[in-house]
Amino acid sequence: MALKQRLLYLSAQSTDPRSPAISQALHEPVKGTIVEIDPTRDSLDYDTVHDAIIYGWRVVHFPDQRGTLSDSDVDVLGYQFILEKMEQFDD
Amino acid sequence: MTNATRVSTGNLLSDDQIADFVINGYHIVEPQFPPEFHAGIYDELQALPSNPGDDINKAIPKIDEVYEHPAVVGALASLLGHDYTKAAHRHCHRNHPGTRSQQWHQDSLNIPMLSDGHGRVPDHVQSVLVMYYPQDVASNMGPTALIPGSHLFLAAGDRNASHGNFRDQIVAVVPAGSVLILHYDIWHAGTANTSDLVRYMVKYLFERASESAEPSWDHDGANDVHILERLERDEAALIQRSLVPKRNYRRAAMWNNLAGDASIGYEYRDKWAGEWPKPVK
Repeated sequence: MALKQRLLYLSAQSTDPRSPAISQALHEPVKGTIVEIDPTRDSLDYDTVHDAIIYGWRVVHFPDQRGTLSDSDVDVLGYQFILEKMEQFDD
Repeated sequence: MTNATRVSTGNLLSDDQIADFVINGYHIVEPQFPPEFHAGIYDELQALPSNPGDDINKAIPKIDEVYEHPAVVGALASLLGHDYTKAAHRHCHRNHPGTRSQQWHQDSLNIPMLSDGHGRVPDHVQSVLVMYYPQDVASNMGPTALIPGSHLFLAAGDRNASHGNFRDQIVAVVPAGSVLILHYDIWHAGTANTSDLVRYMVKYLFERASESAEPSWDHDGANDVHILERLERDEAALIQRSLVPKRNYRRAAMWNNLAGDASIGYEYRDKWAGEWPKPVK
């Protein structure tokens, strides 16, 4: 067993961690696992970043406060928080 | 024969269907064929020794019949004008069991077959992707996923690579024979096929040949206020509020570019009068 980092990318509607989550990607610290769009799911694991914190996730990256510029040519959907949870995994 | 001679009024889209496309970026048609028609195309696709690329319609001529069905022609004429053209680029996606999902992307603009080489067009419908599925597509067969409303935005693929699942993504779980019409710039992806069946998707591109002088769909100007309200109000997918003004501006611009002389004039109206908010319990 070894302590390893699980990573959860949650994009929210605003920089407020209680704003609704727009998207999610979970990276498990297990060799060979992949992160994919899952067409069989119809909801995200957490409604907000705050919900994820309640379940033990810890924010390690906060979104850029400058946000989206309305005159920007390129758009990124949502404000991305990155969260971690340290858990024991088999090697 | 021009498309105008092939389109009956009954197959044209309505104002609300055009608004749906402007807002969401997609439209689904289910042209009526005998069930064995699609099964026959599936068998022919299975028998192909290699990918014919652009010549998929020469390898299996019956596929052209799908794209020439009056219901499909009516939808395309409604969105692109009655003189729309078929691009030379075509592609058949064979999605084997075990195929992994793609990342969210807008299709490449580096397709020389697109006649005018235009860039992203978030305020018009210049080109559409038209995807035909000859078999039922279940959620575990690698259905096409898309983000409704994303055609109005310009994606940076590398900056969007970490998104994974979107809360409001649409997954094309459709019956055999379905035709999915997409705005060319919509963010989409093929997903993982975890079934034990091969899933096919045949893609054609169609393009606008001329600018609209008038609506090419079944239009009634009496719907203008209702349509304008929808363009301002309807949600496609949850996005940050700072993008909403750009989204709404592009929706209205797209509608008006499609409508030609019947474009909707924007006039101030009081949207806030009415009942007071209810007390919070």
